[in-house]
Amino acid sequence: MTQWRGEREARDARIAAGRAHADGKVVPAGSVVDLLEAVLRPGDRVCLEGDNQKQADCLARGLAACDPGKVHDLHMVQSGIVLPEHLDVFETGIAKRLDYSYSGPQGARIAKMLYGGQIELGAVHTYLELFARYFVDLTPHVALIAGVSADRDGNLYTGPNTEDTPTVVEATAFKNGVVIAQVNQIVDQVPRVDIPGDRVDFVVEADTPFYVEPLFTRDPAAMTETQILIAMMAIKGIYAEYGIRRLNHGIGFGTAAIELLLPTYGEKLGLKGQICTHWALNPHPTLIPAIESGWVQQVHCFGSEVGMDRYIRARPDIFFTGADGSLRSNRAFCQTAGLYACDMFIGATLQIDLMGHSSTITQSRVAGFGGAPNMGSDPHGRRHPSDAWMKAGREGQVVGDPALMRGRKLVVQLVETFGEKLVPTFVEKLDALELAKKIGLELAPVMIYADDVTHIVTEEGIANLLLCRDADEREQAIRGVAGYTDVGRGRDRAKVEELRARGVIRRPEDLGIEPLDADRALLAAKSIKDLVHWSGGLYEPPAKFRNW
Amino acid sequence: MAGAHAASTDPDALSWYEATARQRVVALADPGSFREFLPPTERRMSPHLPLFDLPRAFDDGIVVGRAKLDGKTVLVAAQEGRFMGGAFGEIHGAKLVGLLRAALTLKPAAALILFDTGGVRLQEANAGETAIAETMRAIVDVRAAGIPVIGLIGGRAGCYGGGGLIAGTCSRLAVSEGGRISVSGPEVIETNKGAEEFDSRDRALVWRTMGGKHRRLIGGADAFCADSVSAFREAALDLIGRAPAFDLATLEAEQARLESRLARFGDCRDATDVWARLGVNDPDAVPAMDTRAFDETVARVREADHDAR
Repeated sequence: MTQWRGEREARDARIAAGRAHADGKVVPAGSVVDLLEAVLRPGDRVCLEGDNQKQADCLARGLAACDPGKVHDLHMVQSGIVLPEHLDVFETGIAKRLDYSYSGPQGARIAKMLYGGQIELGAVHTYLELFARYFVDLTPHVALIAGVSADRDGNLYTGPNTEDTPTVVEATAFKNGVVIAQVNQIVDQVPRVDIPGDRVDFVVEADTPFYVEPLFTRDPAAMTETQILIAMMAIKGIYAEYGIRRLNHGIGFGTAAIELLLPTYGEKLGLKGQICTHWALNPHPTLIPAIESGWVQQVHCFGSEVGMDRYIRARPDIFFTGADGSLRSNRAFCQTAGLYACDMFIGATLQIDLMGHSSTITQSRVAGFGGAPNMGSDPHGRRHPSDAWMKAGREGQVVGDPALMRGRKLVVQLVETFGEKLVPTFVEKLDALELAKKIGLELAPVMIYADDVTHIVTEEGIANLLLCRDADEREQAIRGVAGYTDVGRGRDRAKVEELRARGVIRRPEDLGIEPLDADRALLAAKSIKDLVHWSGGLYEPPAKFRNW
Repeated sequence: MAGAHAASTDPDALSWYEATARQRVVALADPGSFREFLPPTERRMSPHLPLFDLPRAFDDGIVVGRAKLDGKTVLVAAQEGRFMGGAFGEIHGAKLVGLLRAALTLKPAAALILFDTGGVRLQEANAGETAIAETMRAIVDVRAAGIPVIGLIGGRAGCYGGGGLIAGTCSRLAVSEGGRISVSGPEVIETNKGAEEFDSRDRALVWRTMGGKHRRLIGGADAFCADSVSAFREAALDLIGRAPAFDLATLEAEQARLESRLARFGDCRDATDVWARLGVNDPDAVPAMDTRAFDETVARVREADHDAR
């Protein structure tokens, strides 16, 4: 006879076992290990919440402290490998298999462990892709999540950093899984209900508030004149040219410089209201001057940013906020917004090859993807037109019936020809290919594939890859903006000049930009303190960014 | 460099923190009055850096010369914090010492040192340390000749290491909020004493402990400026006018001031404890205060001004 309720019965048994360590749904921090050992079964798929921002760190420590004799061979399905504990569990045998997306700070260790065979790797995903698989073939048996507060019924307030939580809970709670939340405090009534209590089985009052990394704060004091020059070119040669109103920015200094140039350089060019009005973006502190100057109409956020809470609360016309006044972020929705509803993604990368493939992988680090490949790709499922999208489509269309032409999302790489420590950004071959071979990855970890990239901007100029008609032109267009790197010096001078005459390559002077005008005096804010002033004292920067 | 071309030389608009050494000097002095000694065209460069395969600067990271300040002749030295953190090397130090010694014959109204330094350049440590000692000796001679030596501190690199020692020998110091004065830097303290003692990444702590506001409140600096060249100019003129005599009475007063400071605040764990003991009403509010509110606070603190140094 077919058994239709096996999963449900297993779930009931896990919860019954867990209840022994709980008072109702509430579990004291000291009993986390007992709870996890009671609920988890060997071989379980477990989602330990954590991405590039917030971390369920108390539950991560608890999991790492479990007895590998009781809890072992877990299959971790999680956004981020960020905390040391995320990898410790693979060393002790608690976990065995891994499917993930982002691993910024643990990039070097994860590469070593993959190479050493300590981790059985499923795949490195993009955020959206991993979320999608939660609903198909990587549905968690147990989710370990983080929130700000909960009541005794399990109603959860995630605070401004909602991020992945609704997605993880949706996949787990509605498919016979167990949801365990850590919260900073148990309260009588939560400020707002981000996750209804009937989707949360256990609530742990954590020993310390969950950790959030201020990943999206760029100190204006560290911005260089080269970055400002690149930002000026991007604004004049791309934003203005295509009339980009809906967009997503990466987290680098180049895009932060663009944000700080809007109220000054952008204003001078008369672009206010014409560009940068609608955003899929975390609440970048460097966007404050543009918001305060009336450039920005609205911003939807993946997560929040440390120190921005009071500012966001005071600007509900700009941000998505709840009835309680605080930000409601949502990574899955914002990724979708960035993919389908934005006309441009612009961000930095570490390496670009001769065709325009890019990667943030170096030979010893597997940094993962996060959301960049979702943002930085042309969605073939898009069906609504916009001027920017249609213009890019026309530029890229070589043959075929114009009536069947579709638009193109602009995917712009903003890089200096030489990166940190004078390492060339432009290379003949990506390190990612070498690494893939070394650790046996079936798919080389390419961040953005060449066929998605439309423009590359460096201090040498803008290469418009949409206008390239064959592989050779494309290579010369890239070499033409690669400056004094070996790739740049290998350019065919005559061909590059021909591309320049056609506007495929545009130098600063072709755009009417005098490089000596690229001065820090153009930045709307030159320091974190200036950002605080712009915000009317509402922005509260974390201590590591203060110099007062 | 883009700076000289695009940045304004309007002293009101030019941020001291952002400006290069040369921009500071030019905007500080009466318009058109600055004459540089051993300018970059002379190519007086470090003989040591090539050994380490490190780039050199044509002026070895310091600008020295003569200028007018409100019509009066002054000698000026400005360290370039962007070149090797403004660190003292052999040539760098020799230019400063030479300038100070020239004061004895040129008899200017004052000598101004625009500090922006992390201390001695590691690659030429012996020469750098010697330069620090020679500079302090030269300052003593200049002050003994009745010429005030004024230090202006508000650059990115702060005033650390030997620079902090030299600052201690000046007649008077002006500092801005971004300026820092100390001997051991935050990272050095953390390395030697541990992050529990001093977390160098806690920048609010760094500025609370070494920053301009703290130094002004405890009398370590004698003027607090907004971050503009015009504010520093005003402070320099004011301090030249009220520099103490360099005699036994001043030195004894300085000794007494430092002894009583140690006795009074030696057990404080944080700068806010010091400020509370100084009688500041709301110590936690000090870091966020603007210049005007801070000036009002300083005016109520007795220890901030003194006849010593």
